[in-house]
Amino acid sequence: MAEEMLKLKGMHKRFGALEVLRGVDLDVGRGQVVCVIGPSGSGKSTLLRCINLLEPPDAGTIWLEGKVICGEEAVEDVDFVRQRVGMVFQQFNLFPHKNAVQNVSMAQRTVLNRGEGEARTKAAALLNRVGLADKLEEYPERLSGGQQQRVAIARALAMDPTVMLFDEVTSALDPELVKEVLDVMRELADEGMTMVVVTHEMGFAKEVGDQVVFMDEGMIVEQGNPKDVLDDPKQERTKRFLGLVLEH
Amino acid sequence: MEFIFDYYFDFSLMGDQFDRVLDGFWLTLKLSIVSGVLALVWGLILAVLRQLPGRPLAPIRWLTIAYIDIFRGIPLLLVLFLVSGFLSAAQADGSIPRDIGLPTWFGEASTFWYGVIALTITYGAYMAEVYRAGIEAVPEGQMEAARSLGMSHGQSMRQVIVPQAVRKVIPPLLNDFIALMKDTSLVGVLGAVEVVKTGQDVQSEFFNGSALVLGALMFLVVTIPLARVVDVLISRQQSRISRGGGGVAEPAPAGAAGTGQTGGPL
Repeated sequence: MAEEMLKLKGMHKRFGALEVLRGVDLDVGRGQVVCVIGPSGSGKSTLLRCINLLEPPDAGTIWLEGKVICGEEAVEDVDFVRQRVGMVFQQFNLFPHKNAVQNVSMAQRTVLNRGEGEARTKAAALLNRVGLADKLEEYPERLSGGQQQRVAIARALAMDPTVMLFDEVTSALDPELVKEVLDVMRELADEGMTMVVVTHEMGFAKEVGDQVVFMDEGMIVEQGNPKDVLDDPKQERTKRFLGLVLEH
Repeated sequence: MEFIFDYYFDFSLMGDQFDRVLDGFWLTLKLSIVSGVLALVWGLILAVLRQLPGRPLAPIRWLTIAYIDIFRGIPLLLVLFLVSGFLSAAQADGSIPRDIGLPTWFGEASTFWYGVIALTITYGAYMAEVYRAGIEAVPEGQMEAARSLGMSHGQSMRQVIVPQAVRKVIPPLLNDFIALMKDTSLVGVLGAVEVVKTGQDVQSEFFNGSALVLGALMFLVVTIPLARVVDVLISRQQSRISRGGGGVAEPAPAGAAGTGQTGGPL
């Protein structure tokens, strides 16, 4: 296994009476793409949100680049995590009062203290890379969902993250817009970015994933090589889920 | 019948007293604008204090909520008496400097500044609630996106949440400003010769209400256009929403457990 980038051990999270994560262990090597699949409510999104501490886990340990980042033994704080972990959301969450370049520049300036020119140059380069060189000055309301999501990816990349988290980033898109976003993610994976991808796109998981993790009821039911998990699942629950997903 | 008309619409009296009433209205306008601007700023500060995150800052949140509840819940006139009485008594007693107890900044009388202070205190509380509604109307994903990029709570509020919130609440803030403008008439009770006090003085000198009617007309010259502006802004916002604009997608129904849940110390 490649050098360890991200390691989770015994992750627990509950919201009131609802136990959303019930002991999740996961290892992600540098440059690996881990695709997390599973039914609604299985805890996939919460797992991602715990990794960048949007939701602090109740129990368990997370190592990022070998350093503990949560709980009492944490040696690094939220700032360390957020600067290294980029996140892309299902609902894009672009800042509607800022245009594309400003969306990508804002945190560069406030968090990384980059100058306006430098932040803008970087923003323009990243927007070019996600195929939006002609949309630099457009506001989110004038962009399609796929374009908005690509701006959101550029916005996260602008912080030079070492890990990228994708939370069902194509689920809110019209079908014809899914590919343009997946293409960008595929390129990113090819360039060696470490990625944890919560997705319902089984084709993407099979093709790009180094590892597929099937979650249900807050636990990892099955994980391994994408072909093994997706084509020849061992667990009954995985079979049932994949049967339902691939049926149509 | 003729008496009724003459009592309210004695045009020659209106003409004679026009300049005097206009002077009063000028003071009303100055009171409104100075207090309005200060209340806008103070209200935003209160609203932001109320949204401070985390357990250690809870006392500040409680104090802010208490302040807002108190000053929304008591009459402005009462606040006016408390402020003016305290400041003048405290400077007479020597516990605060005379310049502060009997302020005459920028050539305005102390009663003017007592009015500004009381109006700011009270309307700051009202406007804080308006801002709060705006802040809460910004989708939660905005704060999450900003925080996930490494921005602090303060940076996220300043650059992401507040600019969006303020845009949403400009119409209700203007409504509050109209209400504030009308309430400046209470400062007349302290002896500030604003437009209502002027009209009342004329009324008692001439046993005729026309100067008050003239004052009312001056109010309407400002308040009716403002009300129309509010209508236009609201209808513009609504057409934006119906076009699906704003770029803020509606949050999807909670797909995975945990989405839509609050509780994380963002």
